[in-house]
Amino acid sequence: MTGHQIARVLSRQAKAITVQSASAGTVAHHGHHEIRDHVKDKIGKREVVGYGYNGQPTYVDRLDFPFPAIRYKEPNAEIQLLREKEKGDWKKLTTEEKKALYRASFRQTLAEVQAPTGEWKSILGVTLFGMSVAVWFYILMKKYVYPPLPPTMAPEWQEAQLKRMIEQRQNRIEGLASQYDYETQKWKE
Amino acid sequence: FLHRYLLDGQAIETVWTVIPAIILVAIALPSIRLLYLIDEIHNPALTIKVTGHQWYWSYEYSDFDDIQFDSYMIPSNELSTGMYRLLDVDNRMPVPYNQAIRLMITSDDVLHSWAVPSLGIKMDAVPGRLNQSSLLVNMPGVFYGQCSEICGSGHSFMPIVIEAVGESDFLKWLEL
Repeated sequence: MTGHQIARVLSRQAKAITVQSASAGTVAHHGHHEIRDHVKDKIGKREVVGYGYNGQPTYVDRLDFPFPAIRYKEPNAEIQLLREKEKGDWKKLTTEEKKALYRASFRQTLAEVQAPTGEWKSILGVTLFGMSVAVWFYILMKKYVYPPLPPTMAPEWQEAQLKRMIEQRQNRIEGLASQYDYETQKWKE
Repeated sequence: FLHRYLLDGQAIETVWTVIPAIILVAIALPSIRLLYLIDEIHNPALTIKVTGHQWYWSYEYSDFDDIQFDSYMIPSNELSTGMYRLLDVDNRMPVPYNQAIRLMITSDDVLHSWAVPSLGIKMDAVPGRLNQSSLLVNMPGVFYGQCSEICGSGHSFMPIVIEAVGESDFLKWLEL
């Protein structure tokens, strides 16, 4: 490539980079990390208030990371007023106001997080349903798919096999034939 | 939540790597010694050649008069009452009991494996290779085994049956 062509490619690349950084430059900077536009779309106007459980600005109720990275609700006028009041003496806040402040930042209380949901009932129901489908499937397979059992499974054959195993002294040290008394032709007690 | 962001600990990791390594070496040395001891020289009186085919075994007793025969499984529809399905064969492999026997095992086509669990023996039948194994049966009886290396559609249908007999009975059979 000629010098001109190289210069043109390089300047085009430089413009592309500046365009990218320009758009990146329009997002908010918060503490130690930037929030990109696509994340902002998902969280809307909710404020980022901390690191959360992995540094991402997502809301999760977790017992092992009790402080989510973002508030639960978007700020509105009432909440902003309460936030100002919150900066003063907390004893001056009514219970309702405290609850409102809490619910603006959190979806559930930790007690609600730990409360039983009764989900086990639906899980059990679906599992049992699945098991009954399996049973039906087994019946179908047995009736239409599997060939009949070989003749060696018949009780008479099994008895004859057992007799033959005894005659052959199979496992005579600790197994089958060791349990048979050959003198009396009977099983040992 | 203690030690939630714990990443490594060089000292303890070194300890719990070196100590098991030493333990493993302590296990390996006697084990290798035993492995070589098992390959004892026992001057067998008899050598039998076992060849795996798709899908049967053949046995050669070339020490005497070139005796050679095939051993096929008895098909399930030809069994008589009391016989074992997929285990009984038309020609069993007779051996004298209480005698050291050398087995030379190979294959005519694909990999097979000659195994008789009740005698503690298993040896791969490799085409182009002679694998030696030793056999000593301490009591007369009938011992069953099955092919132990996948060898095609008949892999489950090529069993092994050893009939350990007294020396005189074995000699009588040889003369047949």
